[in-house]
Amino acid sequence: MTKSFGPVRAVSDVSFSVPSGQIVGLLGPNGAGKSTTMKAILGLVRPDSGVIRVLGQDVTASPVAVKRQIGYVPESTSLYEFLTGAEYLDFVADLYGLDAPTRTARISQFLEGLELAGHENSLISGYSQGMKQKVALIAGLVHHPRLLVLDEPLNGLDPRSARVMKEVLRSLARNEGVGVLFSTHVLEIAQAICDQVVILRQGTVVASGTVDALRSRAGLAGSDLEDVFLSLTGTGDLSDVVSALSK
Amino acid sequence: MDLHSVRRIASVLVASQIRSGRTTSDPRSVFARPFIFGAIDVALFLVLFALTAIAVPRSSSLSVVVGPLLTTALPFLPLFAVATVLVAGVMFELTATSKFAGSDAVNWLPVTPGEFVLASSSAIAYTYSPALALVLGPVAALSLDVGLGGFVVLVAFLSVVGLLEGAFLVEMVRSATQRAGSSGGRRGRLSLVVRAAALAVLVLALQLAFNPVFLLDSIGGLDALGTLSAFLPVFWSTHALSLWLAGDAGLAFVFVVAQLGFAALLLLIAAQLRARYWVVAPTEFSFDAHAYAGAHPVLSALGLSRAEAAIVTKDFHGLTRRREMLPMLVVPFVIFLVILLESAPAPGRALPSPWGVAFAGWAGGFLALLLATTSVGQERRALQTLYAAPVTGRSVFRAKVASVLFPSLLVTVPLSLAASVLFGLSWLPAGAMALVGCAGAVAVGFWGLAFAARYSDFQERPRPQYLRPSAMIAATFSGMIILFGILIAGVGALAYTGASALGGAVVCLGFAVGFTAIGWYLARTGFDRLFRELPF
Repeated sequence: MTKSFGPVRAVSDVSFSVPSGQIVGLLGPNGAGKSTTMKAILGLVRPDSGVIRVLGQDVTASPVAVKRQIGYVPESTSLYEFLTGAEYLDFVADLYGLDAPTRTARISQFLEGLELAGHENSLISGYSQGMKQKVALIAGLVHHPRLLVLDEPLNGLDPRSARVMKEVLRSLARNEGVGVLFSTHVLEIAQAICDQVVILRQGTVVASGTVDALRSRAGLAGSDLEDVFLSLTGTGDLSDVVSALSK
Repeated sequence: MDLHSVRRIASVLVASQIRSGRTTSDPRSVFARPFIFGAIDVALFLVLFALTAIAVPRSSSLSVVVGPLLTTALPFLPLFAVATVLVAGVMFELTATSKFAGSDAVNWLPVTPGEFVLASSSAIAYTYSPALALVLGPVAALSLDVGLGGFVVLVAFLSVVGLLEGAFLVEMVRSATQRAGSSGGRRGRLSLVVRAAALAVLVLALQLAFNPVFLLDSIGGLDALGTLSAFLPVFWSTHALSLWLAGDAGLAFVFVVAQLGFAALLLLIAAQLRARYWVVAPTEFSFDAHAYAGAHPVLSALGLSRAEAAIVTKDFHGLTRRREMLPMLVVPFVIFLVILLESAPAPGRALPSPWGVAFAGWAGGFLALLLATTSVGQERRALQTLYAAPVTGRSVFRAKVASVLFPSLLVTVPLSLAASVLFGLSWLPAGAMALVGCAGAVAVGFWGLAFAARYSDFQERPRPQYLRPSAMIAATFSGMIILFGILIAGVGALAYTGASALGGAVVCLGFAVGFTAIGWYLARTGFDRLFRELPF
């Protein structure tokens, strides 16, 4: 897929797949094209060239049908703040076509699990950033999606909720066969839960594969993902920058 | 189109509208639920229907008066419904922040842009429906009295279609203002100016195209157009109702269907526009290596410090780059141009020259009042940045004065001079009118800042208030009185001679100096107090 915004080529010939039952980490420096790629998968951004298929369907041809299969958590939460948490989640679940008893049960389950129960009848405008993120996460998961597209999903979550979410993602992938595309800047998280990693830089894929495969490719066996990432994105030697900023 | 999704989205948008205007929103309250507008509609209709039925006695002599009145006025009610929603939409809906007026909150869900547009338009039409209920209650009672029961049902139906048409037009303008673009380059600045101008032209064209008073006035009544009016969609409802009254139900039905087709076409165009801006394009940033720029030479020459000049520059950038601020720049111009076009010199209807030019002073003053009252609240939570920066409240006050007066005076002077040319004023009274306009803008500018320093609203809401609602009403009401006082006294001084002229000049000067001094004092002390402690 290739996508430009005016003179800026945001994504250039990017190609990868998210297999069913696997968690794929999409990593890259700021402005590498991660969010554009994710939006294109949802049909929110129309590629200039290339085809995106989700569960066999062309995203551009049938965006609404594709969106029914996807759970999406955007980088910055965009919620209707003057609804209560319960009203918002009921609204989202209804748009995905869940019947009333199912959505009540699912929403309660998630509210309990993420410790939002008791706050569900307050307006979202009064929630903390972490609570808003939890609402966005529940909205992305409530309808049993077959593919999860999560843009920095753990931002602002407390440690317990972050752990719960990591376990939920693992379980969905392993037990339900859900594919997960997951972007994060916290490389420890990516290393801990991702089966595969795709690294973007300036809109192109610079490396992809399992963490071990990337270690071998970077010639950094035994190193953590942060060293591998910095090496593969060409940002490894930071001593000059650190020295300049320390003055 | 999934009508269930449309209904759910519309309901959410209405709930957001209702709750956003309340400082303490209890979502469980019946007044915070979407059905409240429907309840208001029913209550208004029934109460006014009953009151009219009781108050107006049945008599044949009354029928002779009421009957022709209803049959003449009611065919234009659908056209007024379009104009009402359009005017209210431009004034209130276009100022909604992109965060709420945009489609980011739903575009990732399985809904189409068309479903969103229909939902959003229905929500707008539903919000303004009490205005229709207010008219239809007494009208229905009177119509039943004179045997026009069937006719009033058709009027109600076509007026609802009119509300929706107005909402579709508002949606079109709203979508057009939702595209991203904050590039600070030369090309970006030019595109912003072009966009603001295009928006002004679009809003003005729509206001005039659906303004029944302007339309009928310019064509000299519907009859003057003859058969040509049958080809103008804005008049199709009127034709349908007139034909119904004339007993031609078949042709009336054709015009009703045509009007519905026109509404569908507007919906289609609005949906296409929304689809185009369904996802806001990412903002493009580019950084060039260069030395820090010094303070702006003009602002420095005005006596502003480097920090104060920086705040002014930031405010100018915000004014021209933030989508929700765009209508603030456009609305005073549009109102001024509509008034000017409706009162432009024509045989037998020209206003005395200085009175016409006073509209320009009013536009400049209104802009100053708008900018001043919103100058603090538009900072929102980013106001913390100013608290954390090494600047005093007094410095921020000086910067805000410059941010308000600079653009207002830049607008007032050329508008006054242009209006003077149009109304044929010689250079001396033209200059005097420009000065009167500037005096009005300065006085209400300080007056608005006094309110902004004390009653600003920093909440994130779908429709930003910037100022608490009661303070906004008080500031607008008192500001307009001050502005009109200065303008009317100033015009009086120019339009008359002798003692009247002297009296007008003294009142004008007294009002201008007095209210500027009071506003300056209240604003300055207000900023001192505001910057003692973070207000949120």
